[in-house]
Amino acid sequence: MIRTENLTKVYRMGEVEVQALRDVNLEIQDGEFIAIIGPSGSGKSTLLNMIGCLDKPTSGAVLIDDINTGKLSENELAEIRREKIGFIFQQFNLIHTLNALENVALPIFFAGVRREKRLKRAEEQLVKVGLEDRIYHKPSEMSGGEQQRVAIARALSNDPEIVIGDEPTGNVDTEAGNAIMDILEGLNREGRTIIVVTHDADIAARAGRTKRMRDGKVLD
Amino acid sequence: MKDAFLLVYRNIKERKTRSILTMLGIVVGIAAVIAIMSISYGMQESITEQLSEMADIIMVTPGSVELGSFGDFGSLNERDLKDVERIQGVKEAAAMIGEIEEVEYRGEMFMMQIIGIDPRDMDAVFGETVKLEEDSGSETGASGRELRENDHKVCEIGYSIARDYFDDEIGVNDRLTINGSKFRVVGVLEKQGGFRSGVDSQIYVTKRDAVNILDTADISTIFVRVRDIGEAEEIAAEIEERIDDNHKLDDFTSAMAMGGAIEDLESIFGILQVFLLAIASISLIVASLGIMNTTLMSVMERTHEIGVMKAIGAKNRNILFLFLMEAGLVSVVGGVLGCIVGIVAAKAISFGIVAIFGVEIAAIVRPEVLLGGIAVAVLVGILSGLYPARKASKMSPVEAVRYE
Ligand SMILES: Nc1ncnc2c1ncn2[C@@H]1O[C@H](COP(=O)(O)OP(=O)(O)OP(=O)(O)O)[C@@H](O)[C@H]1O
Ligand SMILES: [Mg+2]
Repeated sequence: MIRTENLTKVYRMGEVEVQALRDVNLEIQDGEFIAIIGPSGSGKSTLLNMIGCLDKPTSGAVLIDDINTGKLSENELAEIRREKIGFIFQQFNLIHTLNALENVALPIFFAGVRREKRLKRAEEQLVKVGLEDRIYHKPSEMSGGEQQRVAIARALSNDPEIVIGDEPTGNVDTEAGNAIMDILEGLNREGRTIIVVTHDADIAARAGRTKRMRDGKVLD
Repeated sequence: MKDAFLLVYRNIKERKTRSILTMLGIVVGIAAVIAIMSISYGMQESITEQLSEMADIIMVTPGSVELGSFGDFGSLNERDLKDVERIQGVKEAAAMIGEIEEVEYRGEMFMMQIIGIDPRDMDAVFGETVKLEEDSGSETGASGRELRENDHKVCEIGYSIARDYFDDEIGVNDRLTINGSKFRVVGVLEKQGGFRSGVDSQIYVTKRDAVNILDTADISTIFVRVRDIGEAEEIAAEIEERIDDNHKLDDFTSAMAMGGAIEDLESIFGILQVFLLAIASISLIVASLGIMNTTLMSVMERTHEIGVMKAIGAKNRNILFLFLMEAGLVSVVGGVLGCIVGIVAAKAISFGIVAIFGVEIAAIVRPEVLLGGIAVAVLVGILSGLYPARKASKMSPVEAVRYE
């Protein structure tokens, strides 16, 4: 279970303070599929970064399975990101010098798993997202939709409980977006917690629950 | 490990020109060190080899070698020689009469150094080191014979006199005119070069002949061989004292122990070696700055990528390792190439020295120097990569991902 307690994030830019998150209290149950919507600048990405252990709150806390992530060391946070969470970006963010298989194998490499086992596991993930015939393609040789599916395979490579997507369909057409949502639904059926930010009402409608944000607050 | 290597290798390959230029810095630095070390080992060996044969010699000449005492030296005489021979620890003492005289051969004339020496003493002075030239055609396998005690109007000549000075080559049984008297050549000496290249342009006659044609009995040099090299300095001091007494003058003569000269030469050599290595090290420092700069640029350019890697679970040390490996790989390859270039350069320098100066100086490439060179390259690479790699590893994942 993921829980935020009075989660607040303030960005200070010189004299100006930006309240990206104000006292956010949110509970996400294991196995839930939740969509977060809201206008640009409302703090959606900031919230995902906090939950995804990429950033630390100014005040308040994020608890994952009752562990306060604010109290963990950088190394422990890296381990949570690696083992418990799979992060999917709007811009795909694949490593352009590596092919699909190597990209997917990268988080398993950081986990220190042996090469053969690692490549086998990476290949399984690519098959799972329907890219078995794109294994040796470089990112530049794939469509946006395919790249995002590689990114999903990469997010899944260490078998995480939580999959987080910050506008995962934002850079692909409707058809590819639907394919991505199909995959995410499938992952949810496997029992994983899915959290996605989206601007698309149709996409949001496919989630089990929708939360709206405005001015750094989660509305009821 | 293999994937880390691949990742790093592809990053290096992506910016080929920059990586090659960075590597070139290391190549030049390491090559300079290897070449300098190899050549100086060669020089050291050739110096010690040539001089160690003379380590037990004391050279006695009139006139102090100290500065400001040049001028009319006077000369040594038979009494000096007898006194030197009597000194405890002296094995042999040989006197030489030396003058520059006109030498004529088939109508050509040159001024040359004529050395008058007792044939018995010649062995004492040169021992095994100066031999007759080889001649497979002759019965003895040598070009002529050595001077004998009762020889009259015959000479042995140095290699350059036989081959280089005159238009016509001079061989055994040819006749030269020295200061108006005819001399027959009985032997041609082997080429010496290096520290004994003086021998190549000297003509040796018996002491008796020298006294006659040079019109002097003055001794220009006494060569002394000592029994124990350890006592050479003391014996040299005693020789100076005796001869100065004979001539009732302070600082009339100087006796130089060659062993001491070897040590002096070696210490000068050591200083030179350190100096050259210091210069080579500067090029290594420049190379190190190059690596640091390249790695830093690589870190900057890949900030976004570093952020992504951290977001998907890379620990600080994973990132640190990747960038250290990048710096290390460039410098290892640079180090290996530097060794190869260094060996080639050392051989070329050695070849050049032989061609230009006629001195045989081998390029001695020691394996420990090569290993040391590669180790230094790796060390330079890792140390230079450390700062940029730490910088990369400490980046905040969100900020790095946002960076475009
Ligand atoms: N690193 C930062 N430094 C300063 N201000 C920031 C930073 N990141 C976000 N902000 C500010 O915090 C607020 C929330 O940003 P956030 O990216 O979370 O919005 P968002 O809901 O994801 O918007 P969008 O839909 O456009 O992605 C914005 O006003 C933004 O300008
Ligand atoms: Mg956003």
